[in-house]
Amino acid sequence: MQSNSTPSSTIEQQLAQRAENLELGAHHLMQFASKKGADRSKIAVSASFEQRLAVESGHFTLANSLASQSVSLLLHKDQKKSSASANTTDLKTLEQTCEDCLALASFSVADPYLIMPSADEAPKATPLDHLFDNPLSSLELYELKDFAQTVLSRLTKDKRVALDKCDMAISSSFHGLYNSLGVMQKERQTALSWSFFGMAVDGDEVSGFDYDGRHVYRFEGALQEALRDADRFVEKVIGNLYPKKAKSYKGQVLLSPRAVEEILLETLLFHAAGTSVMDKKSLWMEAINQKVATDSLSLIDRPHESRLTGATAFDSDGLPTREQTILEHGVLKMHLLDCYSAHRLSKKSNGMAGGPFALTMSPGKETLENMRHGRGDLLLVDRFSGNIDTVRGDFSGVAKSSRMLHNGSDQGPVTETMIAGNIFEILKTIPAISNHQELVSGAMLLPWVLIDQVSVSAG
Amino acid sequence: MNPIQVKQLLNDVIKNQSDYVELRWHRRTANQFLATKGRVDVANQSRTEGVGVRAFIQGAWGFAATANVTPEGVRKAIDEARRNAKIIAQLRQDSKSSLSSVRLSTQDFVGDGFKELTGLKVTDKLGKVIDIERELQSSSQFIQTARVRYTEYLEEKAIVTTDGANCTMQIAQPELSLSAIAENAGDRSTYHKGAGVSGGWTCLFKHPSLDHVVNDVAKISVDLLKAKYPEGGKKTCILGPAVVGLLSHEAIGHTVEADFVKSGSVAQGKIGQMVASPLVTLADTGCETTQGYAMGNLPFDDEGVETENTIIIKNGILNSYLHSRESAAEFGVKPTGNARAWLYNDEPLIRMRNTYILPGKQKLENMIAEINDGYLIEGAGSGQADANGEFMFGSSYVWHIKNGKRQTLLKEATMSGIAFDVLKTVDAVSEEFKWDSGTGHCGKGQPAKVDAGGPYIRCQMNLGGRQS
Repeated sequence: MQSNSTPSSTIEQQLAQRAENLELGAHHLMQFASKKGADRSKIAVSASFEQRLAVESGHFTLANSLASQSVSLLLHKDQKKSSASANTTDLKTLEQTCEDCLALASFSVADPYLIMPSADEAPKATPLDHLFDNPLSSLELYELKDFAQTVLSRLTKDKRVALDKCDMAISSSFHGLYNSLGVMQKERQTALSWSFFGMAVDGDEVSGFDYDGRHVYRFEGALQEALRDADRFVEKVIGNLYPKKAKSYKGQVLLSPRAVEEILLETLLFHAAGTSVMDKKSLWMEAINQKVATDSLSLIDRPHESRLTGATAFDSDGLPTREQTILEHGVLKMHLLDCYSAHRLSKKSNGMAGGPFALTMSPGKETLENMRHGRGDLLLVDRFSGNIDTVRGDFSGVAKSSRMLHNGSDQGPVTETMIAGNIFEILKTIPAISNHQELVSGAMLLPWVLIDQVSVSAG
Repeated sequence: MNPIQVKQLLNDVIKNQSDYVELRWHRRTANQFLATKGRVDVANQSRTEGVGVRAFIQGAWGFAATANVTPEGVRKAIDEARRNAKIIAQLRQDSKSSLSSVRLSTQDFVGDGFKELTGLKVTDKLGKVIDIERELQSSSQFIQTARVRYTEYLEEKAIVTTDGANCTMQIAQPELSLSAIAENAGDRSTYHKGAGVSGGWTCLFKHPSLDHVVNDVAKISVDLLKAKYPEGGKKTCILGPAVVGLLSHEAIGHTVEADFVKSGSVAQGKIGQMVASPLVTLADTGCETTQGYAMGNLPFDDEGVETENTIIIKNGILNSYLHSRESAAEFGVKPTGNARAWLYNDEPLIRMRNTYILPGKQKLENMIAEINDGYLIEGAGSGQADANGEFMFGSSYVWHIKNGKRQTLLKEATMSGIAFDVLKTVDAVSEEFKWDSGTGHCGKGQPAKVDAGGPYIRCQMNLGGRQS
């Protein structure tokens, strides 16, 4: 099963060849596992070609090209499970991996709830063709350098920007999932990604660091998107220079979309997760169709949204994905169930194994301008560096890249400012949500959110 | 193939290469078990193997990697790496790098515990994890969820370069962590504790952090049910070894990584300056043997440079940055053995190993007795530091010290400050010492297994609490 691609074949052709080899390997492994006594098996395979240009301290430092692949097995035998993975398609090695995996399963604890979906429960997903872009897959490393140089020039135009690291990469990937009950799913994606990390330095003054970046599936329009992100990054690090002490108070705080993700979402999703419900760790076990937050809060998963990096046609059990509302006007509409947690709860999976995939929070009614104004002292938190106890909902940490506002007027960046509160208290009293959303790391679409009951401690 | 056989293959392939070429074979076998609620959620073995190739041509780097560990596969990767280096050379004609000359390793190293861990039956390891989870779950009626995770990395490497590195290593890095959620009348609390070592199974279970670990995790998680929050503000604090480790790693260690220094971190230009109390000596070592139990030991780094104990701050004065061969050449110093890559298909970056403050001469109990109103902060949560030295750490729990005595157990706190400013306030350093961060990973584009620790230190620090 070694690749027989030639140097002259395109990345798309090489990817197709790898995918075919991996599929053959997956079917061989399922038969082998069955012959060795496995009751059920699931094989996930992936292959990717990536080319990357790296920048350090403002200079190009490394060009990188990688071809990688992996094969992962999950086996059930006598109501016990184990898993294994290897980055090879050599059949003898994979057979040995399978035998080791079966041996491992025999030492495990029996679990009558283990389950895999059948082909009827997980019909073939409609491929998301818009996630693969032929012009992007055929881009060469030397062609990426023009793109990278343009972005780098924009990032370093202001000499106060100290760009520590910057990466730009193109990749083409294949992902397949098969199980011994007949499930067969596959998809391919291209990506052009960029990431920036750095700070601003003005004489002896060093700002706090910041970062930005994301990936897009298609080449068309990518440069404009990358330049927009570069401008935003530069504005943030320059804006972080010369911070001042904030004021201590308890009350409202304005969260940027990035801070909304960092502070609110982890806890929300923990309590909506099927595994938290089945293990009785969730506070929302009996909360389906009940109000858990203010009317203004709605969360929707859109796995087919081509602007978001987590887009996928199927979940990690192999079930086709679809748009689903998690929270509607503050009412919990679903738990996030994979096949196992659904079985434990005597329910059906809703295709959320490994999900949510592409989360969006619905916009509210307020303009950002109105949310900033008329509130005396107001801390605008752009980034959160801290700890969140998802079980209790307590959070405490430092407000980074953050600014103090007074009656809407910008008082400048702040330093050594800590915020603390409880997410469940906050969810009950959200004063306002912005009427527009922004992309967060390319993975989510979130609005600005004004929250209350937050302790702000100035250092 | 074993590492010695792979080394021979790499030597055959690298012959007649012009320019600098570095071949790094890496095979990682990772076993992971996770038991919770009486079931085994994870019983996984993963194996990753391949060769990473770096070429250095006209002062520029190119990298490629292959999972095809044959002469043909490696030769093809060398060609790609050379082609990539030439692209970078074109892009940076005005700015060329160089590599420092240093004697490179030629040793074939087998770490303590590697043979023990590879020889131990999987049934013994998984069985132990299941037993500990059962013991923790049944240790108190208030334990709602017990969770026990065991991970072991078996790392095998061979590094061959055109300028003399010709070495192999086999090292084992096992770790164990326990966590519990306690619940009573709707209140909940969580606590976790663990340890990791560079060594074998026996070494892991001798780690001081695993003494009475089941009782500790159960007791503290239950006791925290009744605990209140500490009061926010600037306080006199005694930081425990886990928090001192976080401070050393996050707030100082990252700012002295030479790549970050070049970009303008707060440590830039401060060599020779007083940046901490004279009581503070801070180091990063890849060869810790005196205290034992450190997770981040390595005989040589991923450029084949033998590791050393690098003194970063000596008696309060900034003494050294952390270097790769490239940054050492730029700064005109010796490389410190800090170039590390996570997997074969990652390029080496400047990373820490075991970062710590050296122990002092005071007794912890005396340090507590001298405080009228302050806090003892134990157990580390997550942490992050900024380019300007501002840091944030979480702790697991806090003791309120009143009139020289530990009085009340409080919930976890978040601490922040400017690293060098806080270190200047250190007025006592204990003789008690512990490595206490061996279960985590450091993130810098790639993960890395590191450890950190230290003595108890007394200083002034901001605690994040609640405003009334």
